[in-house]
Amino acid sequence: MNDDRLAASGRPIRSGPSLGRHGVCRRHHLLLFVFPPLASCSGAQSALDPAGPEAAGVATLFYTMLIGGIVIWCGVVGLLFYAARKRRAHSTKSAGQLVLWGGAVFPTVVLAALLTYAVWLMPVMRPWFQDDASGMRRIEVTGEQFWWRVRYLGEDSGPVFETANEVRIPVGERVVFLLKSPDVIHSFWIPVLGGKMDMIPGRENRLTLVAEKPGTYRGVCAEFCGPSHALMAFTVHAMEPRAYEAWLSARKNSSGADAEGLALFLRHGCAACHAISGTEARGTIGPDLTAFGERGSVGAGSLANTAEHIARFIRYPDGVKPEVRMPHFSMLPDADVERIAAYLKGLR
Amino acid sequence: MTIPRKYLIALVVVLPLLGMVFAWSGLMSVRASTGHWGVTDWFLHWVMKNSVRTAALFVEVPPLDDPALLPPAAGHFETGCAICHGSPAQGRSDAVLAMLPRPPDLKMVVPTWTDAQLFEIVKHGVRFTGMPGWPTGLRDDEIWAMVAFLRKLPEMDANAYLQVSGLHGIGHAGEVSPLPITCESCHAEKRLTEGSIVPRLAGQSEAYLLNSLKAYAEEKRPSGIMQVAAGTLPEESLPELASYYAKQAPPARQIGQGDPQLVERGRELAERGRPADKVPACLSCHEKAGGNPAYPRISGQTAPYLERQLRLFHTGARGGGPFSHLMTEAARSLKEEDFAALAAFFASRESRGP
Ligand code: HEC
Ligand code: HEC
Ligand code: HEC
Ligand code: HEC
Ligand SMILES: [Cu+2]
Repeated sequence: MNDDRLAASGRPIRSGPSLGRHGVCRRHHLLLFVFPPLASCSGAQSALDPAGPEAAGVATLFYTMLIGGIVIWCGVVGLLFYAARKRRAHSTKSAGQLVLWGGAVFPTVVLAALLTYAVWLMPVMRPWFQDDASGMRRIEVTGEQFWWRVRYLGEDSGPVFETANEVRIPVGERVVFLLKSPDVIHSFWIPVLGGKMDMIPGRENRLTLVAEKPGTYRGVCAEFCGPSHALMAFTVHAMEPRAYEAWLSARKNSSGADAEGLALFLRHGCAACHAISGTEARGTIGPDLTAFGERGSVGAGSLANTAEHIARFIRYPDGVKPEVRMPHFSMLPDADVERIAAYLKGLR
Repeated sequence: MTIPRKYLIALVVVLPLLGMVFAWSGLMSVRASTGHWGVTDWFLHWVMKNSVRTAALFVEVPPLDDPALLPPAAGHFETGCAICHGSPAQGRSDAVLAMLPRPPDLKMVVPTWTDAQLFEIVKHGVRFTGMPGWPTGLRDDEIWAMVAFLRKLPEMDANAYLQVSGLHGIGHAGEVSPLPITCESCHAEKRLTEGSIVPRLAGQSEAYLLNSLKAYAEEKRPSGIMQVAAGTLPEESLPELASYYAKQAPPARQIGQGDPQLVERGRELAERGRPADKVPACLSCHEKAGGNPAYPRISGQTAPYLERQLRLFHTGARGGGPFSHLMTEAARSLKEEDFAALAAFFASRESRGP
């Protein structure tokens, strides 16, 4: 496998301050010996290293069930040994008691308790759930084959600006995501914060999330949506509120003026599908490329964001992501592709 | 009565062997000069007619009464068919009359076939006879134009044929042009009308013309007509031809008006696209100041030509130069009602260049 492919390997795009050793995982590191797969439980894309209450609920549920499961399993194995060793048969009455209490009452109580707990964890069951999300900051995320369109909505529902494959939220503030899809079913999942929520054509689903720790996390598509489904990820930046406001206002005023790079970008028709604010590029078929240089990845989490990778993506998008909806530009002169890549990398 | 097993085996093994021995001996004649026996001739033609009749059963015939279908088909007939079948301007030569079977005078036989049957014959050719298939399997529209022309053939005299095919002369000594059919026969500005399906070349971008000619010659842009016209040219003449047409001034013409509603819908798509369906704005690639010269001018082209090309791109059959996949992607999500609107808008627009 190609090392540039971050997505497939599940490696974090970039670690934030709260990632790595400080997670919940650490408390349970003994478990790693028992369950090696848990070794991947810390990091930017781990539901077991939560940074928000929803994900924390899921993690607690997971551990509760895991430990409970281990205890029950030990009990059953113990019973098995007991039955195998026992010489004298049970009386009919005590056997009946065992089956009743151990085989019917106990599982019913345990399952009912777990079900209640899990249902309580579901969004609409939560005590803080507000049906009316009108006061909240709203971000519309549309799953497209195979990338994420992200619109920051203003007071009047109109988009303030659009970006792609990256979501920024302020720490400590509950944000509502309006989830849509124009093509097939996708699913929005930020394991560290919560989710998943399906994005269904013709519908608008809502998911409210809050990040409690600043950091850079990774979101993924959790519903198979085509050949490049596994290469459809996004970066989540949970930022301190002050830094967030600064970013918002900077982002509203970005402009992509760079005479030569921009001229080449327009000359070859990239603007048919891509927009860069402050320029005449207004295409909305593909991802908005305003401030592209700041983004964590190229091609929705497929490649790290470097000028070489951008050039590679422009030449052979299909080589990076099978059946991608961007035509290849390998027929352009190398100098033009490199100039455009440098231009995009320089966009702030 | 039962035949003993060993006689059966002898029959199955020995007969084919005898056949091979006969073929090897060279006694089987392949001479065309001696002709077929009457019964062989009848049988072969009977098989051919049956085969064409059955194959044509499910062929749907489009409308063929558009006079614009005739000129390119007639020009192609002169280069691709008349050599065997003769034409109203010149009969068959003795050389082809000595073929077996002899290519028939189409004036006489065309009325015996239906449109669908003619389509079958022209598209696929006739095996073992010398009758070739169409140079590409992807351009049924061109074959239908040929069928439309064949229908008109029986009533055509030499003059009408010269007119419709753009033939410069019939190759007698002292003719002005040494070639009976040239690019001008089909593409000359004065031969084009509002309804032409032949593209206008005057003032087109040079890079695009060259890419297109190369694409025809390399069979990357399927067109039976243009593959024949460009395929035999020496490679070094292509840049000359491209530059010749690029330098011609685009004609000062009366721009056709077109249905205003249709034109308006076309304008909307051309300027803004339809992002919900992933249709990009055409003008973000075409006819931009400082734009890539491999992206052609389309304004001022005739509406029927534009519409045909858009449909070809839409189905993925158009092909073209090294940039053509961009256009295939742009046309992929067009809807049925878009083709005419876009064609009407660009046909009625003043030609502007990159
Ligand atoms: C026909 C529409 C189309 C055209 C034309 C087009 N692109 Fe794209 N582009 C897309 C789509 C769709 C994507 C999203 C691909 C994906 O990740 O699934 C994309 C993605 C990209 C990305 C990665 C964006 C990200 O957020 O990671 C870059 C960079 C890019 N294109 C640059 C270009 C350049 C430069 C040109 C012109 C040479 C160009 N594109 C022309 C449709 C197009
Ligand atoms: C190399 C010589 C040759 C060329 C070139 C040629 N044909 Fe033919 N064509 C034949 C021969 C030979 C037959 C007779 C087939 C048969 O008898 O079954 C024939 C048969 C036909 C027939 C069926 C007529 C009939 O009743 O048998 C049609 C229609 C026809 N050709 C049209 C065309 C057209 C249109 C073209 C040009 C695109 C063309 N041909 C080019 C040799 C040629
Ligand atoms: C028999 C008629 C005929 C002759 C002769 C002919 N052309 Fe064409 N030409 C056509 C037709 C029909 C098309 C449209 C083909 C298509 O659908 O791809 C065309 C298309 C073209 C195109 C593509 C234009 C565009 O806008 O995409 C070029 C370039 C061209 N011809 C150049 C030439 C040159 C140069 C010659 C002389 C060597 C020539 N043609 C001879 C009929 C002809
Ligand atoms: C991403 C750039 C791009 C966009 C957007 C685009 N085109 Fe094209 N178009 C091209 C290129 C490149 C070609 C040349 C293909 C070739 O090399 O044969 C072309 C060719 C064409 C042709 C064929 C011209 C001829 O003479 O044969 C037509 C017609 C056309 N485009 C119409 C449109 C329309 C209508 C739209 C809007 C729906 C559109 N294009 C959008 C790039 C584009
Ligand atoms: Cu997906």
